[in-house]
Amino acid sequence: MLASAGISGTIGRAFLLVGFIGAIFGAFAAVAGARRNDQQIIRLIPRFATLIFAAAVGAFAAMEYAMITRDFSLAYVQKVGSWSTPALYNFAAVWSALEGSILMWVLILAGYTMAVAIWVRKRMQDVIATWALGVMFIVCAFFFLVSYFPADPFALGPPGVLDGPGPNPLLQNHILVMFHPPILYLGYVGVTVPFAFAIAALITGRVGEGWLVATRRWSLFAWGFLTFGIALGSWWSYEVLGWSGVWAWDPVENASLLPWITGTAYIHSVLVQERRGMLRVWNISLLVATFSLTILGTFLTRSGVLNSVHAFSESGIGAWFLAMFAVVLVVSVGLIGWRGDKLRSPGVIDSPLSREAAFLANNVLFAIFAFVVLLGTVFPLIIEALQDRQIAVGAPFFNKLSMPIGLALLTLMAIAPVLPWRKASTETLRDRLFWPAWCGVAALVASLLLGSYGVAPLLTFTLGGVASGAALRQVVLATRRQGLRGLVGRANGGMIVHLGVILIAVSLGASNSFSKSQELSLVANVEAQFSGHTFELRDVVEVRDDRSISVKALVLVDGKKIYAPAITKYTRIGMNVGTPSVRTSLTTDIYLTLEPPVRQDSNEARIKVFIKPMIMWLWIGTALMAIGTVLAAFPGRRRKPTEPTSAPVEVAKS
Amino acid sequence: MKIVSACVGVVVALLFLVLVVSEPDQDIVAKSPLLGQPAPSVASTTIDGEPFALERRKGSWVVLNFFNSTCVPCINEHDLLVEFAASELANANAAELYTIINDDSSDAVREFFTKNGGTWPKITDDNGTIAVAFGVARVPETWIIDPNGIVRLRITGELSAGLLTEQVNRLREEFVS
Amino acid sequence: MKTRRSIWLAMFLLVGVLLVFGASRSGGPLTQQDRIDAITLNLACPTCSGESIYVSRAPASESIRSEVARQVASGLRTDDEIVSYIEQRFGGQVLLVPRASGVDSLVWALPVAALIFSAFLLFTAFSKWRTNKPTSPTLEDEQIVAQALKNQAESESK
Repeated sequence: MLASAGISGTIGRAFLLVGFIGAIFGAFAAVAGARRNDQQIIRLIPRFATLIFAAAVGAFAAMEYAMITRDFSLAYVQKVGSWSTPALYNFAAVWSALEGSILMWVLILAGYTMAVAIWVRKRMQDVIATWALGVMFIVCAFFFLVSYFPADPFALGPPGVLDGPGPNPLLQNHILVMFHPPILYLGYVGVTVPFAFAIAALITGRVGEGWLVATRRWSLFAWGFLTFGIALGSWWSYEVLGWSGVWAWDPVENASLLPWITGTAYIHSVLVQERRGMLRVWNISLLVATFSLTILGTFLTRSGVLNSVHAFSESGIGAWFLAMFAVVLVVSVGLIGWRGDKLRSPGVIDSPLSREAAFLANNVLFAIFAFVVLLGTVFPLIIEALQDRQIAVGAPFFNKLSMPIGLALLTLMAIAPVLPWRKASTETLRDRLFWPAWCGVAALVASLLLGSYGVAPLLTFTLGGVASGAALRQVVLATRRQGLRGLVGRANGGMIVHLGVILIAVSLGASNSFSKSQELSLVANVEAQFSGHTFELRDVVEVRDDRSISVKALVLVDGKKIYAPAITKYTRIGMNVGTPSVRTSLTTDIYLTLEPPVRQDSNEARIKVFIKPMIMWLWIGTALMAIGTVLAAFPGRRRKPTEPTSAPVEVAKS
Repeated sequence: MKIVSACVGVVVALLFLVLVVSEPDQDIVAKSPLLGQPAPSVASTTIDGEPFALERRKGSWVVLNFFNSTCVPCINEHDLLVEFAASELANANAAELYTIINDDSSDAVREFFTKNGGTWPKITDDNGTIAVAFGVARVPETWIIDPNGIVRLRITGELSAGLLTEQVNRLREEFVS
Repeated sequence: MKTRRSIWLAMFLLVGVLLVFGASRSGGPLTQQDRIDAITLNLACPTCSGESIYVSRAPASESIRSEVARQVASGLRTDDEIVSYIEQRFGGQVLLVPRASGVDSLVWALPVAALIFSAFLLFTAFSKWRTNKPTSPTLEDEQIVAQALKNQAESESK
């Protein structure tokens, strides 16, 4: 073991250096090849892509090797490694702190670069692809450099360390840490691809719709993984953090939400451009915004200017990301300005009552939403800069402002799917919205019968009803016409995604408004009651392993099954982590947490009980969104080239 | 179109400016709304069961150290506290040092002090009432209260060598009682 | 057609009545726990930026939570008084909802300004489009459409 000490560090650093040099060469090859249109040089590009991917895999493997063999010569292993961490969590420990997560970013980015290189191999004559790869190589070079210098995971630590504390306890008590970060990163890093193509389109001046259509699936892929990653994060929050919520609006969550918002705006407005050739500057700006928000988010959360629960330690990485953010913005804005004349949109929107106008409204709402989230996240920094005073902006602010935005978006989701392109009459609208509107009424009546109250949740349910009616109408009409093929394609898959979003909105509305909670002081074998359920403490037990001491309260719920909320003290870190225990059903979750202080030898325990309606539908909605995204990625019904693209869709005759 | 671009440009430029000037906060001497105010009333017992009331300590300088026996910076700074307590013995206007236990059992604290020295009183703080009354964010924190019962200084995080003596001496000169 | 219109009218009326009815209902009296939750939702954890005491499981948050619970149970202070007790000890940064006064009010005003601004932009854009509507697609438009269709056909045939 000692013989190998430091070896993986040296190898890892060598890989990073090779990757950096490969990326620089790749970038040069792409730029030179594209400018001279020299096929000989261009043919070399995929090799550079393979090289940097191999280097990234090598560096990541070296880190995993160091973590698995507990090579405590490395500072990073000293920080997050421990002999007592179980193998699975030890594997995930690699991405549990700043340096490792940047390394994972490098790996995924290099993977995307290689995938794009393979994908475009047959169309290498197209300079757009070459330029796009050039952009990706430059971004790769930046991340290899960050990983080599300020966020070096292979830096040597002080000698003589034989064991470490292990990863943050929150990152070693749920299997989701294996999946949530990589999946989120697949989305977060994936937005680099459409961004690179947007920049390439600007450079070549071929800002028409070709590159959009070409990168459609890359955008959808990245968006899908970003969505799924965020949803997994919410699930993790619910299962691990013990406050019974799914979204806390903390800066790290906001950093992942921001590119999602602009990305969602993009995948809507891109339809307008494909169909009508409009909103070109806007779409490119959205891609630039999405990508630069990933960089900005990383700056905000990893540089220590905002300290969040996700608590990545401070490092010199901030200046690098800030510089990158500036470069991305200046270059993109400069290019957009330079190509301004070519970007001018040829078409106009005829009527405020049309599909494209609805998309425009959708984009305005998403832009405001992104603005609100960004403003709330950086507002403490603004106040500190202006007045040297500390303030906090948190969940109540975001909830208050995102609620009307969410309701407005639901309204759009209700109306937009039935709107034809170009122009609709109120007549058509009245006609097509008839049944969806009754769905809304039915949802309202049903929720009132179930005892709902309050304007906001009731509006959510009503609009959710109308919106799902509108989405179902589209799916039903499409499948009636085309059979199962009516389920695939952008419009139809998109409607499935909408149904998922509506389920999520409704379940958030219900669980935020109608949750109940109560702290109960339970005494062994005495039944306590809350909200129509009974809770009886059976025992308090202690479980020890070599990394933690865990105290569990065994609580019999409704006389049927025992649930065991726990508090675990991770002895090496000296941190207490609560583990909730949840009884899940389609209608209501009963969420139990054990409250400190606890003593294992006592026959009492303080339990907090949360009764939360409809949580299950969050996860069902997420699944629907994932299914819809996959369906949307399949090619839908092909429009014949002779068909006039801007005529109202046939669905009109219903 | 131009208005939009101009607005977005200005907003982004301002944002950038704010980000450039913002820095991680790392002051050791921290702010608190209580500075210059009368100290919150504290009534509790020591781990040995003797009553303790902060009001009755008026007339001498008081140093409160919020402590948890598992927190690493607390363990690191302990030797400095022992040193400080010893050096204060020689002073005519000696400051009294008290440990306020934060989220820790009396047994663990007793064991820690037996092992690492320190004979000053350790005050229990069930449910963190004292910590909340002072607005303690994260242990260790060290507070200095003057003989009139006014809060004079709050130090967050691990003490550095000589810092406490230096600050207490400075305050003693500044606020001659 | 007339009947359809009256059905729509009836539906809007029904929804309006039901919403008013739903809005006037309430979920029963507030319990002590509801008060504790409401207070802690609006207080920031002092050691982790952006999270509420309600959410956070940090030791400082646990202490503040039990202090809030104690004060609610004693019944001597109102919710606002409890919040200001905590604020007097920890400073303004424990308020999770920015004040609507001074510079802090910008955080509320700017989103509203953005909304008004974008509504204004949309309005001017639509009125501009309405006045100078091109009668037929230009040559350039048709080229773009043709190119896009070609590209799409290509990309999908692969």
